[in-house]
Amino acid sequence: MKDSKLVIAGIGGQGVIFVTKVLAQAGLLRGQPVMASENHGMSQRGGSVMSYVKLGGSEAPLIQRGTADALIALDKGEGIRNLAYVRRGGQVCANSSDGFDDRLAACLAELSIQVHTVDADGLARAAGMLASTNLVVLGFAAACGALDLTVEQLGEAIEALGPARSVPVNLKALEAGAGR
Amino acid sequence: MSVQLLLGNDAIALGLTQAGCQVVTAYPGTPSSEILAGVIRYKKKLGLDLYAEWSASEKVAFEVALAASLSGLRAATAMKQVGLNVAADPMFSAAYMGVVGGFVIVPCDDPGPMSSQTEQDSRLLALTAKVPVFDPATPAEALGMAGAALELSERHRLPVMLRPTTRVCHAVQSVAVDNQKVVRRPAAGFKKDPQRWAATPVFRLKLHHELNAKLAAIEAEFNESPLNFSVDCEGGRHYPLGVIAGGVAYQTVRQALTDLGVSVPLLKIGTPFPLPRRRVAEFIAQCGRVLVVEEPDACIELQISDRTRVSGRLDGMVPSAGELTPEILSACLSRCLSACGLSVPPSEDLPLDGLVQSLKIAPRRPRLCPGCSHRSAMYTMKHLFGPNAIYPGDIGCYSLGTNLRAIDTFVDMGAAITLATGFYQAARFTGDHRPIVALIGDSTFLHSGITPLLNAVHTGARFVLLILDNHTTAMTGAQPTPANDFNAEGDLAARIPILDIVRACGVRFTRMADPYEHESFESLLKEAHAFSQAPEGGLAVIIADRPCILYDRSPVEANPIPVAVTAECDGCRYCLEAFECPALVLRPDRSRVDIDARICIDCGQCIDACYKGFIVPKDAALALSGARP
Repeated sequence: MKDSKLVIAGIGGQGVIFVTKVLAQAGLLRGQPVMASENHGMSQRGGSVMSYVKLGGSEAPLIQRGTADALIALDKGEGIRNLAYVRRGGQVCANSSDGFDDRLAACLAELSIQVHTVDADGLARAAGMLASTNLVVLGFAAACGALDLTVEQLGEAIEALGPARSVPVNLKALEAGAGR
Repeated sequence: MSVQLLLGNDAIALGLTQAGCQVVTAYPGTPSSEILAGVIRYKKKLGLDLYAEWSASEKVAFEVALAASLSGLRAATAMKQVGLNVAADPMFSAAYMGVVGGFVIVPCDDPGPMSSQTEQDSRLLALTAKVPVFDPATPAEALGMAGAALELSERHRLPVMLRPTTRVCHAVQSVAVDNQKVVRRPAAGFKKDPQRWAATPVFRLKLHHELNAKLAAIEAEFNESPLNFSVDCEGGRHYPLGVIAGGVAYQTVRQALTDLGVSVPLLKIGTPFPLPRRRVAEFIAQCGRVLVVEEPDACIELQISDRTRVSGRLDGMVPSAGELTPEILSACLSRCLSACGLSVPPSEDLPLDGLVQSLKIAPRRPRLCPGCSHRSAMYTMKHLFGPNAIYPGDIGCYSLGTNLRAIDTFVDMGAAITLATGFYQAARFTGDHRPIVALIGDSTFLHSGITPLLNAVHTGARFVLLILDNHTTAMTGAQPTPANDFNAEGDLAARIPILDIVRACGVRFTRMADPYEHESFESLLKEAHAFSQAPEGGLAVIIADRPCILYDRSPVEANPIPVAVTAECDGCRYCLEAFECPALVLRPDRSRVDIDARICIDCGQCIDACYKGFIVPKDAALALSGARP
């Protein structure tokens, strides 16, 4: 179990805050100190949204650029916008049906930053859960090894968070992202 | 005792309720809105006997809670920082008067600002009003400080401020929660004391001397308080550089020091006013130079009388605007370390930063939701009056009408009506007789639009006032207003129709209309404008009446109108610029516009957004020969 600094980025309405809650809950369940920071207010009106999640580590709410272990991007553009947060050797998991951005490839390689993409919108649509793109990306991120958390641990967090009626759909989305 | 994930605002709510607050009032405003909601949740969860109220304004909220305190009950009031400006009038007076039951004011500051008109510092208002301040750096601290603030307030009999910022309010932290028994203060009701509660100026002077004495006693306590403590600082040792920090900035600077791999003594100030000056002076005496880090303004720094060895906002070492990010503080620390002749670890290059900037990714601004009634009203208004009109606006979701160039000003709550009045009066000298259409929301109107309306009618100002009534306080999370028939806890409440209030203000042209009905809405706007220009006419009010679709989609669901963009769409983007529904999306190759089915709610409002007729009801599109939508 390691300390991790995670950045979640997306567009208002995509569920960045729920992903933040799931990660925080997962950290809590395994006894790690948790400090996460959300952006409210304009979130639902389609603006850029970003949150920081720290599992283990200090009580500082903000993450300095170049120090995040992983970036989870529910939207490719927002992922690119927040790329500088990722540290050398860090990982990016982004929702995209057409790769990431070739103009960044050389720089990312030099920094040993791995980028994994998943067509989360496609997977969500196929599973009949258009609103669950966020959890598809989260499941994918766990399965890639980008998070120091397993799909099972995230599943337990989803169950603990509820509400009960949403748990089955949320778990299904998580598993779909993890390729199960 | 259990470890729980607590949102900062929930930690504050829990702290206030556990410490026995029985009256908690608030007006919604980011980043404070979850505090009252949290109090209501804990009331239900812990089975508490308390009263929670969404008041009509922050001044009202403050005064209602104050009376509870004067009755001997513990009370609190919460708001955003600019809301404190509205509550400032009673705050200044209450500081002199004193309180009975503990009374805590919780204004939530917004460094940045992320969603406010200013990034002002509530601690400075407290300093001017002579109200002690607790400044939490984390949700866990906020939980403890809520109780400490109430206790201090009650013991010294004066209002006390608990001042969190966004990164406390909207942070989620794992916090050890003591499931303690709720403290209750025996309260016998209001005891008359006219020299205090109805003090005239001669008694106010006496009260002022009393207040000053209270502050001196509190400062002495703060000098000994464990809320002000030093880190990495050995007594008797001398250091080239020290840092004094408070609030979130303390956490940020501490992390920055760790990341730099540097150890520097830190003095954390949890009680920035009255500043524990002795404690601070002792720390400064151990340091060659001191850097003061706090936000959003200088409050600790201003109270240090000898600043010859002190750096901060006043000498430009710390920026005087904008949030203090880790990058900014790291750079400040490096400069200070250098200036003190200490070695600075080389700063790491961030090649990704420059590269991403060069890609110039378009900023994604917030927009009104698909189906928003405000969009329909403003689109029709612009269609009629065009760019040659003045549109004084106000604060709420409809502020996003700036995207449609349908809002020309916002200043503070209620200013739409007063600015419209002022523009009207100014026109007699400037000769600028463009139509004036003021826009204000229902909650904002009830908060601070009534007095301006009285003033406008009385002084004969002529303009059109569009009250955008979506039946709620939408931007902050659908809190009820006095025009709703339910209250903060979801119980029945007396409903006061805005139409009645407008008529009672003496307005002689008042109509209600559905902004979804574009043609009739536009005719009505025309009629209203004509009335405002007619010799026997005057101020005209139209209430655009339709519920917020985020919270009540039933009218649209009862009458869905799926739409399609025809094959003839030429990608001219007029609909995107003038209507700007997020469900209208330009294809990546910019050839045409499509409907994003994931977010379209089938309101059909965009049909009028294409003057070429390329947005049509879906049935019509399918009926067009050979055309595929």
